[in-house]
This record gives sequence, structure tokens and C-alpha cells, in this order.
Amino acid sequence: MADMKMLDSSDRGLSTGYMMWYRFSRNPAAVAGSLILLSVVILAVFAPWLTPYPKHVGAVVDFRARHLPPDLAHWFGTDKAGRDIFSRTIFGLRVSLLLVIGVLGISVPVGTVLGLIAGYFGGWVERIVSGLTNVMLAMPPLVMALAVSNLLEPTLMNAMIAITLLWWTWHARLIYSVSKSIASEDYIEAARLAGAGPLHILFREILPNCVSVISVKTTLDAAFVILFGATLSFLGFGVKPPTPDLGSMVADGRQFMPDFWWEVLCPGAAVLYVTLGFNLLGDGLRDMFDVES
Amino acid sequence: MQQHPLVAILTRLGTFVLVMIALSVMIFVLARVVPGDPARMALGPAATQEQVDALRLQMGLDQPLAVQYLDYVGKALHGDLGMSLVSQRPVTADLKQTAPATVELVLVSVIFMFLVAIPVGVITAHYRDRALDHIGRILSLTGVTIPSFLFAITLQLLAARGLPGWPIIGRIDHSLGWPGGPTGFLILDGLLAGRFDVALNALQHLALPAFALSMAGIGQITRITRSSMIENQRKDHVLTLQSFGVPERVIIFRYLLKLSSIAPLTIMGLEFASLIGNAFVIEMVFAWGGFASYGLQAILQKDLNAVTAVVLVAGLFFIVANLIVDVLISIIDPRLRRKEAR
Repeated sequence: MADMKMLDSSDRGLSTGYMMWYRFSRNPAAVAGSLILLSVVILAVFAPWLTPYPKHVGAVVDFRARHLPPDLAHWFGTDKAGRDIFSRTIFGLRVSLLLVIGVLGISVPVGTVLGLIAGYFGGWVERIVSGLTNVMLAMPPLVMALAVSNLLEPTLMNAMIAITLLWWTWHARLIYSVSKSIASEDYIEAARLAGAGPLHILFREILPNCVSVISVKTTLDAAFVILFGATLSFLGFGVKPPTPDLGSMVADGRQFMPDFWWEVLCPGAAVLYVTLGFNLLGDGLRDMFDVES
Repeated sequence: MQQHPLVAILTRLGTFVLVMIALSVMIFVLARVVPGDPARMALGPAATQEQVDALRLQMGLDQPLAVQYLDYVGKALHGDLGMSLVSQRPVTADLKQTAPATVELVLVSVIFMFLVAIPVGVITAHYRDRALDHIGRILSLTGVTIPSFLFAITLQLLAARGLPGWPIIGRIDHSLGWPGGPTGFLILDGLLAGRFDVALNALQHLALPAFALSMAGIGQITRITRSSMIENQRKDHVLTLQSFGVPERVIIFRYLLKLSSIAPLTIMGLEFASLIGNAFVIEMVFAWGGFASYGLQAILQKDLNAVTAVVLVAGLFFIVANLIVDVLISIIDPRLRRKEAR
């Protein structure tokens, strides 16, 4: 089981914040991951000012500039409509990050709360949560997301809903196992004897001990959500054109494959860049907190 | 806590049946309550209202949902999954035709995954924090981070440039005139019929997609094998072996590897979910024409019976894979056999 102690006894005397920062700055993976993510967030947020051709995210057509290879004017080349792929890729990052915020912003809190309750109280909540997660685990997430989003309407919003519906179960399962093991600790019993209510025990005693597990899991999951979203839109379940979206850009470029390789590899590399950032940060956090996967 | 392995497996089997029931209810309800009339979708906008109503009646769509579900399950248990609205054939026939291609692809990927990941995991654990370990770490990180579609397309591109003549789409050269064999697994059929050219050709076609499909799993399993080997190295019984002077090689291959293959096997079982998901992408890129391609078509065209069947078969596939993993683990792990030995 994961070692919940975040600080060694030898660390006493220095502030927790300082110790965390020290460990973080000494972990090359974590630092590299955060630098990558920082650059991604800055690029995505300030995309209209940082990209050379912000108008190219719309339905611009410039046939004289079709399929231009990468050069100084177009770093990633241009696509079939003569639009700058670099600008579209940067704007595409926005969709990816939005997806992460949307999916994890809902599924992490929901999964955490349900996992805490199921682990601490047991009983019928435990049975329902573990039953549901068992069913969800038997379902290839991509197949489920495809089925749900298409039975409704193949949009990114529906894909997001479908992913969220599945994703909370993974968090619930993880937090459930942590919470269950903590629930039998002496200090929880002590808090209960001291008259602490269930809300206090759940959120002030158990939850703080789950923070490291949650942060590692959430960071690694962010990479999965991005891969997932890109894969869905690659298969044709993405945002409506002309809005740029990394997965559908790759799918579009695939028609012109061996000749105009940059139309596939550049947006694809952008996906790889973001997922690499999240994975490095997640691995770094795991080493820092000494959490086992 | 200790159970007889047979009891344990039967319990798991029971859970799996419950899971299948829950899954089928979920997908069934989902497929029926969504907006849009399946009968109308099947016939298209040109059909008259009478035709639509007639088909609704024929499909049993006027019945209560519970009746429709029980009817569906009853038929499904007899191998009748309804008609595919798009192909106008029984879904079971479509599945029989497409499933072997995917099973062949997935099986070869899994074998490849273990052939690469376990040795790399063992080597990186042995040379911990040295150059080989870092190379292995980069390999596994690449496997986990790279989008499968990007990896598949890149492989195709590299093969097209670097290996002229190497097949990059499809399952077999049609010029071989292979009529198809009894199992549907091209390599096996070719070998059974003594047509080694067919088997070799199918294997060539299979190589790239199988490699592309196994990449994510290679990353995961390398990681788990490495950390599991390192963790078990610290165990007391390993220390005992070392202090008795048992050679390192014997310790690694006779004791550590067996113990450390439990975690990767468990992960492998769970990895099947993403393996099936990724098969959708790989089959699309390599024009594989298997079960996943069929599923994608069914989903895109809202072919309800086919979608329901695809989701159920995918779930069943996952469950069977995990059952096999459970059996393998109980064979490997002597701690699960304790009761039997007493």
C-alpha cells in the first residue's frame, strides 16, 4: 500500500512548503514536465497573440498556399486549404486542455467523494460503488465513449460527457482503496472518540492523506484524457470544422500522407508534447510523494 | 481468506456474469432511449410513415423496454443478435466474419508485448539507474505517451520509405488467391493447409499493425515488470538465496521472474480494455477490416443492433481475457494454491 507519509521525520524544522519545493526542484522529470506544461498553457491561453496567423483557425482558404512544406513563414507548413498548421496546432491545444479541465474537473471531485464515502462507511454505498466500477472496468473506455457520443451526436461535448461518465469510476476505485485502509487507523478512531462528526473525519482526516495519490493519478490521467480526446477526434468524433483540433487535423492530413507528411506529424507531435509533459510531471510527483502506482 | 483456486475462479466467473448483465442492460437502455427513431434511421427519410410503423412493430419497438430487453437476451443466448440495419445480414454472421481478424491481431500483439516488455523490464531492473535503465525508461515513456494513431501512421510512413514492397495495408495480398480457411486466422489457416506463402504473407501484413498496437502495452508492462523486480529483490527469501551463494542468474530467472510476472499479468488483463480500444484506431489506419472496423462503421451509421453487439462482445472479450489471466496467476502464484497442498 502507498506510504502516506509525505515528510520524513528528519524533515521536521523546515516548513512543509519549503520541503515540497526542494524535493520538486531536485526531480528532473517533474521540473521538465512542469516546464512543458507551462509552455503549453501559455501558448494555449495567449494563442491569438502568439500565433502568426490567428485568422487561419477559421474557414480561410488560400489555394496559392496549399500544402506548403515547413519553412520560416510556416513553421509546420500549410494544410489542404493553405492554412498555417502551426497557428492551428496552437489553437488546437486549447481544445485539448479544455477537455482535460472538463473531464477531470467533474470526475475527480465526484470520484473522490464517492470513494471516500464508500471506503469509510462501507455498507450499501460500498457495494454500489464497487459494483459500478466493476462494470465500468469491463468496458473498453474508447468503445464506450464512441458508442455514447455517437448515439447522441458526434460532438466533442458529448464525447466529453461520455468520458466523464466512465472516468469518475477509476478515481472512486483508487480513493476507495486508500480511504478503506485509512479508516481502520488509530487516529481515525481517536478522532471519532473525540466527537468528530463524519464530515470532519472524511474531509479533514482522510482526505488530506489522499492528496498525494489524487494529484499523481490526476496528472497521469490528464495525459490519458488528451490521448483519448485526440483519438476520438481522429476517428471522426471531434469538434466541428473549421475549429482546429489536433486529432482531426491528423485525420485530415492522413489523406495526403506520404507526400505532405508535416500535416500529420506536426499536430501529432503536439499531442505527444502535451502527454509527455503530464507523464513526466506525474512520474516526478510519484517519486516525490513516494506513492506506488 | 485463502480459497480453493477453483472456488476463487468460480466466484470470479459469477462476478463476470453479473458484470455482463449490467453491461448489457446499460448499453441496451442507452441504445433505446437516445433521441431518434431506429426504424426511421434504418429506412431513411424517403420511407413513408406506414413503412416505418411496420418496421417498428417488426423490431418490437412498441413493447415496454423490459420486455424488449428480455426478448433480446433470450435471442442473444441462442446466438441471435438481431439483424444489422446497414449490412442487412444477421449481426452474428457479420461478427463471425470480422472477429478472427481482430483476435489474430490482438493475440499477436500480446505475444509481442510480452516478448519485448518482460526482458526489457528484467534488464532495466538489473541495471538500475545505469545507461540501459535510462534507455528502457525512455522506451516505456514513449510507449505510454505516443498517440497510437501517430505511431501507426509513422510506422506506415517509415515502411513506405524504407522498406519498398512491404505491405502497409490490408491482411493479405489478393493476388495469392486465398479463398479463406476454416478458422479465419490467416496465419493458422495457411499453415494448416500447407500454404506457407499465405502464412508468411499474412505475417508480413500483421507485423506493423501488431507492433503499433502493442506499443502502449509495452510501455506499461516494462514499467511494472521493472518496479516489481526491484521490489521483490528486497524480499527476505531472495536475500536468503543470495546469502546461500545461489548464482545471480538463477535467482533472477528461477525465482524473481516468476514472482515478478504476477503484477505484469494483472496489468495485462486490465490493459485489454485499452488494447481493444486502440484496435479501433489501428484497424482504421491499416485498413484491417476486423471487428473494430465493423464496430466503427456500426457506430458511425447508428446501426443499433450492431452497436449493442459490438459493445457486448468487446466486454466479453475483456472478461475472457481477465479470466485467463486469473487462471495463469493462480498457476504461477503458489500462495494461491496453499489450500490445495495441505
